[in-house]
Amino acid sequence: MPALKVQGLEFSYGAGPLINGVSFELRPGDFMCVLGPNGSGKSTLLKLLTGFMKPAAGSVRLAGEETAGMRPGRLAALAAYVPSETVTPYDFTVREAVLLGRTARAGLWRGYSSQDQAAADRALEETGIAALAGRSINSLSTGERQLAFIAQALAQEAKVLLLDEPTSHLDLRYKSAVMGLLSGLAARRLAVAAVLHEPALAALGCNKALLLGRGGYSFGPSAQMLTRENLSSLYGLPPGSPLLP
Amino acid sequence: MGKTKGLLLLGALGAACLLSLAAGPAGMAPDVILNLRLPRTLAALTVGAGLGLAGALFQGALKNPLSDPYILGTSAGATAAAVLCFIFGIDRSSPVFFAAVFAGAFGATFLSYWLARLAGRLSDAALVLAGVAVSAFLSALVMLALSAARGRALPLLSFVLGGLYPAEPATLAASAALTLLAGALAAGRWRALDALALGEEKAYHLGADPVRERLIFFALACASTSAAVALGGTIGFVGLMAPHIVRFISGPSARLLIPAAALGGAAMLAAADAAGRLVFPPSEVPAGVIMALAGAPFFMWLLWKSAGRRS
Repeated sequence: MPALKVQGLEFSYGAGPLINGVSFELRPGDFMCVLGPNGSGKSTLLKLLTGFMKPAAGSVRLAGEETAGMRPGRLAALAAYVPSETVTPYDFTVREAVLLGRTARAGLWRGYSSQDQAAADRALEETGIAALAGRSINSLSTGERQLAFIAQALAQEAKVLLLDEPTSHLDLRYKSAVMGLLSGLAARRLAVAAVLHEPALAALGCNKALLLGRGGYSFGPSAQMLTRENLSSLYGLPPGSPLLP
Repeated sequence: MGKTKGLLLLGALGAACLLSLAAGPAGMAPDVILNLRLPRTLAALTVGAGLGLAGALFQGALKNPLSDPYILGTSAGATAAAVLCFIFGIDRSSPVFFAAVFAGAFGATFLSYWLARLAGRLSDAALVLAGVAVSAFLSALVMLALSAARGRALPLLSFVLGGLYPAEPATLAASAALTLLAGALAAGRWRALDALALGEEKAYHLGADPVRERLIFFALACASTSAAVALGGTIGFVGLMAPHIVRFISGPSARLLIPAAALGGAAMLAAADAAGRLVFPPSEVPAGVIMALAGAPFFMWLLWKSAGRRS
């Protein structure tokens, strides 16, 4: 069964369609990059996948379950989402923030169970930030903070992981670390989809690619999708541009 | 919260109670302490706890450290409804009175929230501005009512100014019960409040329905504000200051912040009320005035701090 199956997804902000009949599916172990120029609807697409925004038409299934009308609690158990930026004025520790990944699994009145604590420990280990557990999330560098919110998503123990621009604002070392982490997660049978701004990063582990242009899209194995011709027409760059991989 | 820090908070609460029981021009006669100061101290504790609780809930649910029931217009809505009830002769301990005050609080809060959201994304500044506009309008209505009902206005004036005057035991009991209930229900949902403090989008994806949870926390905060206003009128800044100060002890997570903010608010208002009896004896400065004297500079400091964070 596909981990994520999207059929005929449509959405507009009023002025003409933004997402126009997008269909694709991801299996456990797939790592998909979503590429496209600014304003092509990449971030909107992710929010449509989780139901945070409602599509005008089409369906999204997570592990076979239709997401329309699904409770957020059920959704959080099936898919985790990392926004491009999470800002809060309050100084939660990294561990407190990661434990909040267990919100959907912990009941009212209760503290965290030993399973919750163990899931947070695993997520901190896997993202390599166990040493930062006691620090305030507002005292972290941008890269460390990104890893902390990926750890929070991992603590949800969902089978689908969606990330909005997980590598923007990061230096090259963190870009490579995040991509390495995500392809490692795909290797242990998660389905991962990440919005990226640099096609070159897709070479660090993506096996699927979704190209969103204005008005159209294409989806397929990344080796076939990420050709110089496709990318130059997607971004409106000359084929010889040094920015293309 | 370590044991020492918890004891620190309880110690502050105990000291504030003792001060409130001892302070005043009438000396230390047992009769004065038991019959005058004890009910008044209990009222201060109840009002302070209700406002501290409401502040913690608003600051989390709106992800906005500048919010509290005074700034959002919640208190003004409750006061306007209470004044209307006085004019129509509805008794202060009747359920109708509490229902009306709650409706006023909830209506004013939602109006501020809705106005702030008109601009699109909810910004800290927009919320404060909307709260100021709603409060100003409701306060004008209250003043209008007071001018019109001149004959009966004097007891209402002290209510509007915010002060802890002899409360009927029935009102005290109803307010305390309402505050305890709201606090217990909020404490049970602490994780959802933490999720909301990371923002609406994050809360949704963590599994807490942001629209539903925000509505619940608004209702609980309005209930405890109503309990406070029914007893002490409009007292500002307790809800703003108490959560900020107790976060040094409890940390930011609502699990400890909710009870700590209620205890901290109770201690703060009991101390402010006692201070009001000590500064110009034999006359009394209302607790609301003392809180504004301390709270307004605190608010300015918060504004300055949040401006610094943005730049």
